[in-house]
Formats: sequence, C-alpha cells, structure tokens
Amino acid sequence: MLLELSEEHKEHLSFLPQVDSAVVAEFGRIAVEFLRRGANPKIYEGAARKLNVSSDTVQHGVEGLTYLLTESSKLMISELDFQDSVFVLGFSEELNKLLLQLYLDNRKEIRTILSELAPSLPSYHNLEWRLDVQLASRSLRQQIKPAVTIKLHLNQNGDHNTKVLQTDPATLLHLVQQLEQALEEMKTNHCRRVVRNIK
Amino acid sequence: MELSESVQKGFQMLADPGSFDSNAFTLLLRAAFQSLLDAQADEAVLDHPDLKHIDPVVLKHCHAAAATYILEAGKHRADKSTLSTYLEDCKFDRERIELFCTEYQNNKNSLEILLGSIGRSLPHIMDVSWRLEYQIKTNQLHRMYRPAYLVTLSVQNTDSPSYPEISFSCSMEQLQDLVGKLKDASKSLERATQL
Repeated sequence: MLLELSEEHKEHLSFLPQVDSAVVAEFGRIAVEFLRRGANPKIYEGAARKLNVSSDTVQHGVEGLTYLLTESSKLMISELDFQDSVFVLGFSEELNKLLLQLYLDNRKEIRTILSELAPSLPSYHNLEWRLDVQLASRSLRQQIKPAVTIKLHLNQNGDHNTKVLQTDPATLLHLVQQLEQALEEMKTNHCRRVVRNIK
Repeated sequence: MELSESVQKGFQMLADPGSFDSNAFTLLLRAAFQSLLDAQADEAVLDHPDLKHIDPVVLKHCHAAAATYILEAGKHRADKSTLSTYLEDCKFDRERIELFCTEYQNNKNSLEILLGSIGRSLPHIMDVSWRLEYQIKTNQLHRMYRPAYLVTLSVQNTDSPSYPEISFSCSMEQLQDLVGKLKDASKSLERATQL
C-alpha cells in the first residue's frame, strides 16, 4: 500500500533536500520528540536562525516529516512501500535511505503513542485485597460475617484511579470462576482460528 | 440492654390480665413481630376485632413497647434467661413468659437477618460480566490485531438504591494477574475457615 502525499505535504517536505543529512536526522529526532511530548515552537525559531530560513519553513518541514512518519506507522506499511512512496518526492538516494531508517527505528514507539489516542476505557492496573470479618454493628452484636475488601487500581488517560469495593466469599468464588472461563475462551478453536486468519 | 420507662410501663400493662386477656395478649405479640419482620405489614396490623375493646392509646403504647424490646433483645442476642428475667420484673405470669419466649424463638432468625442487613458498608460487588474482543484497527492505528477483555463489575451501594457499574479493559496478561490475585484471596479465605 502506498502513501498518498498531498501537494501541500510534498511542498513542506521539499525543504528537506536543501539541508544536509545531519539536519534531517535532527528534524527526525525533533519530530518524534514532539509526538512524545507535544510541540515546542521555540525550537523552530532556534533552528530557523541557524539555517537562515523562516521559522515557518522549519515548522512545515518538521510537521511534514511528522505526518510522513505517523501515517506510515499507522498503516504499518512495508519497507518497499515506504521507499516507493518517498520515491515520488524525487529526493537523493541518501535522503531516501535516511527517511527509511527514521521510519523503521521509530515505528514501534510511534504506534504505541498512536494507540493511546484510541477511545479508551479505564484499564486495569492492579488489585489489592484484604480479608475482613465483621464482628458487630450498631444494629447487631456478636456477628461473624466474612468479607473480602478489594482495592481496584485503574488507569484512564494517564490518571490513576482507585475504587474500594467489597464482596462476600460466595461472590468471590463466582468471580474467579467466571473470569477463568473468560481466560479459557482465548484457547478455544474458534478464537484461535480468528487470530490465525485475520492478519 | 437499656430500656426506657415507657417500655417498662407498656409491658406492665401487657402483663395485666385485666387489660389484656390471653387472646389479646397473643394477638398483640404477634402483631409486634409482624410489623417488624413482615415487609408488607401495614398500619392495620392492630385492627383485629378481638383488640377493638382496648383503648387505642394503650394498644399503641404496648405495641411500641413490645417492638422496642424485641429489637433490643435481637440486637444483643438475648437468651431465654435474659428474656425471662426482664419479663418477670414486669410482672408477667409464667404462661405469658413462655408465650413470649416461644414467639421470640420462632422469629429469632428473621430478626437477626433483618438487623444484620442494616448498616453501611462499602459498595458490594454483586456480579461480573466480561467480553472478549479482537482489536483490528482504530482510526489512528491500523493493523492492530490484539485480543482484549472488557470486564464489568455490577456493584450495589448501600447509600443509594442504584446499581452503578465499574467497567475496565484489560489485556490477557492483566486478566491473568487479576484472576491470580482473586484466587489468592479465596485460598486465604479457605485457610482461614479451617482454623
């Protein structure tokens, strides 16, 4: 599958052959850093001054590179497809090689970052438990009421959330049984077939 | 057990065969238990024809006294001798003491269940449901191909009658971790019950 690059995108990237490969590598590093942490416009100004061009040009160059990397990573295109897609830009052999290396080196990390953008539910982080026995309450003395107190740690969008819950022994056994069945499901023929065939 | 003068007065009236004959006594006693334990009991519990001849104020007083005593006795898990002692002090005759204790014994379990269910506790997990999915792509990421679980715990809150749910996603490894920890808890529970 080839990447379709818009005219605007090609224009932004046309800045890259005008600088030497060390600069392109640096732009690549900046692009990935921006994906990790967010854009920092001050860096554009510094680079623009050093290269003697407008900061807009630098910004477009970096953004074009970022978009190239994220689209390629998102679609998980093969090496060959990447090379063919970049070929249309008419860059030098050396620049093409550099771009390919940039893609392959950073693909995994970019995909991890992109996966965090998906609509997400709170996800499981950890579970702590404690065994309690209720001995008395205001309305009834001399009780023996076992309970399991559970602290469920969840993550959502970077926020750590905890929920304190309780359950009785019978429900605990039921929970274990149900969730074990859930795990077993992955091992069934049906699921194995789906995993094998959808690629 | 601390009981007020009002309760004591009510019982003294109940003890008096002049105010309450045998039949009336039994009816009132049963009515007291019924209003406490029967979820559908209404105010008409004292509307029995055999109680009509008694002054309604007296009837209500004695009914309240009996209900109060029953709750206190249940709360403290009073045994037969405690009950007998108090009733003797209220001048109950032997027959009425026996009647009271028998009725109490018959209703003891329901009473204790009722009292045990009153109170605040943490949100209580009632059930779990799960869903296994195979993630193929999102609009940000194509060709994902990984299985994921969505687990939902239904929870009951003592404060509100609502049943909120807690949902979360997890990978297979995370679910294994979760199940492992729950199994540890249940093994620990088993060991504790064998001590």
